Amino acid sequence: MRTTHLKTMLFAAALTGSLVAGSIDAQQDGKVNHTSLKAGDMAPDFTLLDNQWKQVHLSDYRGRKNVVLAFYVLAFTEG
Amino acid sequence: MAKLEASDAVVFGISIDSPAANNAFAQKIGVTFPLLSDMNRKVLKQYGILKMYNVEKEEYDWAQRTTFVIDKKGVIQSVEEEASAINPNNAVAVCTKLPKK
Repeated sequence: MRTTHLKTMLFAAALTGSLVAGSIDAQQDGKVNHTSLKAGDMAPDFTLLDNQWKQVHLSDYRGRKNVVLAFYVLAFTEG
Repeated sequence: MAKLEASDAVVFGISIDSPAANNAFAQKIGVTFPLLSDMNRKVLKQYGILKMYNVEKEEYDWAQRTTFVIDKKGVIQSVEEEASAINPNNAVAVCTKLPKK
């Protein structure tokens, strides 16, 4: 279990890390959007393909599970 | 991950990559939760987190690093952007505090 946890921590760091500074630079001109969603808002529903090409519906988890959505920039970039 | 499962949560990674790329990425880093493909950026727009990146003077709109925690009623419980989204501990803490039912 400990190994799994460590892997997850590493993945989260990889997902969101900034080791690619220099290769991918966000614009510095203030175009960065801050999401208008905030705590207390309803999460917009969606249907997306997972990495096994199966559809995932956010609404399927309603009433069943809490959901953590971790948006990352690009695969393989540690970004 | 164990902590999140114990708190009755599921985790999804989301990017604009294809399922094939995400699957290779998942295997490479040994991730145990699904990686979702928002290839048409529909969800990024819905969630308001499209961000412009410059690569070799061309602009690309990809996801801003953001973590949302959503409870069982579909209500957003926390939003973390950029640097604060790197550390999963806060998401774990939020999930742990949510009611079990």
